[in-house]
Amino acid sequence: MKKMTTGLIIGLIGLLVFAANGWCFGRKTVIKIGINAPITGDIPKVGEGTKYAARMWLEDIEKAGGLTVGDTKYPVEVVIEDNESKAESAVKANTKMITEDEVLFIVGPQSSKQAIPAGAVANNYETPMITPWSTNPDSTKDRPFVFRGCFLDPFQGPVLANFITEEFKFTKAAVLYDVASDYPKGLAEFFKKAWENLHGPDSVVAFESFTTKDADFSSQLSKIIKSDAQVLFTPQYYNEVALIVQQANELGWKGPIVGSDSWGSAETVSLCGENCYGQFFSTHYAAAGAQGATKDFIDRYQAKHGYVPDDVAALTWDSLRLAQRAIEDTGKITGKIKKDRKAVRDAMARIKNFEGITGNMTFTEEGDPVKCAVIVRISDKGEYEFYKSVCPN
Amino acid sequence: MDFKGESAKNMVNKKASQRKGRGVKAWLARVFGRIPLIGWLMGSLGAVLIEYFLGDALSYYLGLPKIPVLFGSSIILKKPALIPGALAYLLLVYALPVSLIAKSMTRPANRLARLLASRPVSLATLIHLGLFYLILHLWAEISDYRLLVLKLTMIAVMLTLSINVINGYMGEFSCSHPGFMALGAYGASITTLLLCVDDKLMGPALLPAAAGPWLFPLALIVGGIVASLGALVIAIPSFRTRGDYLAIISLAFLFIVKSLIENLEFAGGPRGMSGQPDYAGLPTVFIVMVLCVWTINNFVRSTMGKALCAVRDNELAAEAMTVNTRKTKIVTFMFAAFWAGVAGGLFAHVLRYVNPGSFGVQRLAEILAMLYFGGLNSVTGSIVGAVSFNLLSEALRPLELYKWIIIPLLFILVMLYRPTGLIAFTEFKPRELMRPKE
Repeated sequence: MKKMTTGLIIGLIGLLVFAANGWCFGRKTVIKIGINAPITGDIPKVGEGTKYAARMWLEDIEKAGGLTVGDTKYPVEVVIEDNESKAESAVKANTKMITEDEVLFIVGPQSSKQAIPAGAVANNYETPMITPWSTNPDSTKDRPFVFRGCFLDPFQGPVLANFITEEFKFTKAAVLYDVASDYPKGLAEFFKKAWENLHGPDSVVAFESFTTKDADFSSQLSKIIKSDAQVLFTPQYYNEVALIVQQANELGWKGPIVGSDSWGSAETVSLCGENCYGQFFSTHYAAAGAQGATKDFIDRYQAKHGYVPDDVAALTWDSLRLAQRAIEDTGKITGKIKKDRKAVRDAMARIKNFEGITGNMTFTEEGDPVKCAVIVRISDKGEYEFYKSVCPN
Repeated sequence: MDFKGESAKNMVNKKASQRKGRGVKAWLARVFGRIPLIGWLMGSLGAVLIEYFLGDALSYYLGLPKIPVLFGSSIILKKPALIPGALAYLLLVYALPVSLIAKSMTRPANRLARLLASRPVSLATLIHLGLFYLILHLWAEISDYRLLVLKLTMIAVMLTLSINVINGYMGEFSCSHPGFMALGAYGASITTLLLCVDDKLMGPALLPAAAGPWLFPLALIVGGIVASLGALVIAIPSFRTRGDYLAIISLAFLFIVKSLIENLEFAGGPRGMSGQPDYAGLPTVFIVMVLCVWTINNFVRSTMGKALCAVRDNELAAEAMTVNTRKTKIVTFMFAAFWAGVAGGLFAHVLRYVNPGSFGVQRLAEILAMLYFGGLNSVTGSIVGAVSFNLLSEALRPLELYKWIIIPLLFILVMLYRPTGLIAFTEFKPRELMRPKE
């Protein structure tokens, strides 16, 4: 018994001495950026793009020896948390990053179902957050600390309706969308409204829906074909786009199929193949034929990870650069995290005409950017070609 | 002899215990076996008080960036250089104070336990619970992240317990629990949004804001009742079908609820509802959880509970022995669904956002995992299962993808070595738990 006690005490003292990294006291001021990304769960590809973009950004900062604010260089740390593509996990991740890691700024979450509750957390703790990809108005509404990196659906719907009208002179459209998923449903409704404003009531001749994870769309597509619609609009994600386009062609659909920014993933073409060539969609940036900073980003990303970055990666990159600009604009980091967060938030709201790789941005009072949409044509080689740029008036 | 898997530190103890001819377990039993529950609670209280007042200074001295939030898990997994510091912190703040205080308080604690044992059991329970709440409160005071994890864990406890009533005690394989939870979440959310706050879905508040927190229990009950009514849809088919077929029906119910909510425009459709008032604080969640444990524990130990077990083992024989199987099934389904609904209501008000996507098959898998991990037919098992699953999945968060390899692996191991789960087929007896040990 005695020996054991002695052993325990010696062990304890040893542990304490060994533990004293504490001999080099002091906690340095480090700028921490939190990334809230869906690394596991339903959309791991989105999480991967986010993570890679964040790592590339960190590389740049480290090459420069840190982030220069005022006259001082501060080391930067990126904290990446997995939100498992779940709402409660995104809330936990945000709470953890804000209270435990004491991040200065949060980038993410990407999907609206996580960005809405996570944005509430960020706003409560007065921590600036930017969601690069969430298109739901609720994410930033009445939340001064929450920003957004992309345009919203109420803008994208009319852009597409106008584009189709001008380009093809069509008057009858059909819509096929997922009723159980928030983004396609919202966008389908905005498109319908815009189209009917242009061509009168009942000009959307078929408004067909399905449920997430459906794989057979033949009944909806037959109805659409029978309805003598001239164009099919389907704001779906890459895996469904491939199925819809293929099945439509098999059933004898001849008209164009138009999509939205959810088509922007690199997977769309690899899954869909030649069926998708020649189709149009609206998105945040076009990879093929890009120039300047956009091209640099794409080339670097492709060299490192072996594929052309999709819009999530590009938007995340822009969001990180926006964060960087806002932090630099504050002119001073005090080390008092609450004060710094407020300063960064104010600097963020002041940013005017930020030159991002997905276009120029200025924030509205809601924290949403005013920026242009790009219409992309899928070329005969399967590349995303720039076709047209549409800016808000 | 039970040395397998013990740490190196315990190897020092080996000699001492070998001399007495017994294992580490026996040594632990000899040293700590006489401490009653209240002694442990006192020890834990001491530990959290130490953390509350000295934690910051101590973590500073040990070179840690902050107080390790979940027993140092993220520090250990992310920054290996700080492992000694984190271990020292755990030892100094948790392990040593708890064991020393508990040990030194053995005698007074036993005296107190004897005193309490001679009083009504409710008084003793209240004192224990009060002490337990105090510990949790002080522990959560350190960080809001802890608070959130704690609240969600308590909600998971309620869910696991309530599904145990159906899947464990009644022996039906029901997959509809996320559906009940969704009904409760939406029921409670609509009530509070309608009555207590101004928002764009439900319009201006009907009642003054001050009444809100007092009405919150009512909103939870509304959520529970909505879920119980939904449970009738499962309970009635369960008269005729059992086993796999009922599982299919209940799974169908889950999908029906999900698509129903997705198509309800006034409840936000697939976009979900946000802006629930912040009523679900730690005390509220704790009290509701305690009520849940209490009623479910009493329910399964009552005559009704015995009838449940009879239905599980042989429905025909139970019927022959005058058990009213129909009534038993209806009551059980509604009762379990009620608590799942209440848990859903709390969940909605902790996150302050609900969307139908949260109540899918993934949630079902989570609930079932907690249930079978902890063990069927056991209140303690459900609590242990829910708490360990939640803490584990939070502690392993830094591992990202590997987390979903490690946790399932752990489940497979548990199922191999303890096929019925960690603690199955045991009764939870508070009186036993609180008795003096001397």
